[in-house]
Amino acid sequence: MKLYQEKNNYELLEIHPDVAPTEIRHAYKILFDLYQDESIATYSFFSEKERKEILSSLEKAYLTLIDPESRKLYDRDLVGIGGLEEERTYSNHKKNPSSIYDFKKTHVQGLVTIRDPEELKYRASQNPVIQNILDQDTITGRDIKKIRTELKITLEEIAEATKVRIEMLRIIEEDNQELFLPMVYMTGFLKSYARYLQLDEVVILDGFIKYIDKGK
Amino acid sequence: MSQIWSIGGGKGGTGKSFIAGNLGILLAKEGYKTLLIDVDFGAANLHTIIGISKPERSISDFLNRRLATLDETVLSTPIPNLYLISGAMNNLDIANLTHQQKIKLLRNIARLSYDYILLDIGAGTSFNTIDYFMIADSGIFVTTPEPTSIENVYRFIRSAYFRKIHHVLKAHDFRTLADEAERQNGNATVSNPEILLHVIKELDPEKGDIVEKALRTLDFKLILNQVRKQDNPNIGELICKIIERHLALKMSFIGNLSFDDHVHNSVCKKLPFVDLYPYTRTALDLRECCKNHLSINKDKTSVQYLTA
Repeated sequence: MKLYQEKNNYELLEIHPDVAPTEIRHAYKILFDLYQDESIATYSFFSEKERKEILSSLEKAYLTLIDPESRKLYDRDLVGIGGLEEERTYSNHKKNPSSIYDFKKTHVQGLVTIRDPEELKYRASQNPVIQNILDQDTITGRDIKKIRTELKITLEEIAEATKVRIEMLRIIEEDNQELFLPMVYMTGFLKSYARYLQLDEVVILDGFIKYIDKGK
Repeated sequence: MSQIWSIGGGKGGTGKSFIAGNLGILLAKEGYKTLLIDVDFGAANLHTIIGISKPERSISDFLNRRLATLDETVLSTPIPNLYLISGAMNNLDIANLTHQQKIKLLRNIARLSYDYILLDIGAGTSFNTIDYFMIADSGIFVTTPEPTSIENVYRFIRSAYFRKIHHVLKAHDFRTLADEAERQNGNATVSNPEILLHVIKELDPEKGDIVEKALRTLDFKLILNQVRKQDNPNIGELICKIIERHLALKMSFIGNLSFDDHVHNSVCKKLPFVDLYPYTRTALDLRECCKNHLSINKDKTSVQYLTA
C-alpha cells in the first residue's frame, strides 16, 4: 500500500494519466468538495493541519495537470523516474474528433483546398489522357480514377467536399460492383464526383451506365 | 457455521437496535434461521423493538451460571424463524463484564448454530464493545448524516484498527515491537494509523505482513440512517471512500434509510416496524439494505477472530 504522501498527481486525483482536461477538472471538484472545511463526510477525520495539507496537495496536482505545458513537463519527469509509461501519457493519447464522413481514416488537416473551376476545366481540356477517356463510348470506374489522378486530386478531398463516404467513392473507382448500392445512389455519388472535377456530368454518367449495362 | 453480523457505530440513538431488529425480521421472513443477540448490556432494548415486552430469560442467566449453556437463554419470538437472546439484566453491576466473562461469551456465541446471528452492539468505543463488534464476519456501522454521528464512526473504526493491531501483535508475542511503533508514532491521530503499520513493517517486515493481512480481513459495511430529503444522499459513499483511501480498510456502503416518523410510532406501540408499516419508504429501504448485504456477503467464508 502506498502512503498518501507518496502518491503522484494522477493517483492523488484518482485519474488515469491519459485523461482529458475536463476529466481532471471534474475529479478535482469532487475531491475538493470531499475535503473542504464544510464537508460532513470528513468531519473530525483530519486535523486542521492535515486537511490543509491535503487540500494544498490536491490544488498543486490540479494546477500542474490542468496546464498543458506544465503537464507535459510533469509527465516527462514521471516517465523519467519510472512512475509512468511513455505510451500512457496524455500527449500520446490525444484523441481528435474524427471526421464523420471518413471515420476509418485519420482526418488530414487542410484537405479542402479552394479550387478555381476554370483552372480545373482548362487542365482537363489540355490533358490528352482525359480527353481520350471522355471520347470513349463507355467509361469505367478505373477510367474515372485515371481522370482524378491526372488532375492530381486526392480521393479524400473529394469525399470531404462532396460529403460522399470515401468507401463509396472507392467502390466506384475499383468497379467493385458486388458492393454497389442501388444504381440510383451510385449515379448520385458519381454526379457529385464529376461535378467537383468540373467534368460534364452527362457524359460521365452516360458512359458509366453504358459500361454497367454492358456487364449484365 | 453461522454467519455473524454485528451492528454498531459508536454513537447512541442512531438506530442500531432498530436496524438489527428489523434486519433480523427480514432475514427470518426470507426463511433463514436467525438469532438476535442484544449485547448492549446496561441499555438493552432490542426485545422491545421486535415486540417482546418482558423477556423471561437473558444473557445474565448464562453469565451468572443460572443456566448452563447459552442455548438455554434463547427465546422464541412472535416471528417464525426468529430467536432472541436478550441482554436485559436484573443485576446492575453486570453491565461491565470481566475479561473472562467476555471471552466465555464470545466463544459461546461462535459455537451457536444458526443461519445468521445478528449482534446489536452498544454505543461507545470501550474494548468490550469493540470485541463484540470484531467477532463478526461482517461489521455494519450505522450512522446518521450528522457530524456527531460520523465523528463517532471514525473514532470507532480507529479504535477497531488499533485493537486489531494490538491483538495480532500480542498473539505473536512481540509486544516490544508494538511499543516501539507506538513510541515513534506517539501522537497518532485518526488519519494516520497507516503510518503505524508502516513503522511496524520497517521494524520487522515479516510481522508487518502478518498485521497487514489481519487488517485486510476486516470487512466493514455502512448504513446511513435517518436520511432526510434535504440531506446529501452520497455521504455514505464518501465516508467509505475516505476510509478506503486513508486507512486502507475495506468498507462497502449498503444503503440509505429514509427518516420516517412512523418509526417512532412503531417503537411506541412496541411492534416491529416492518410488520406494522411494510409499505413505507423506510421499510422498502430496509429490504433493499438486507438484499444488498446478503449479496455482498454471499461467497464470503467465515473468518474467526478468536481462533487467531
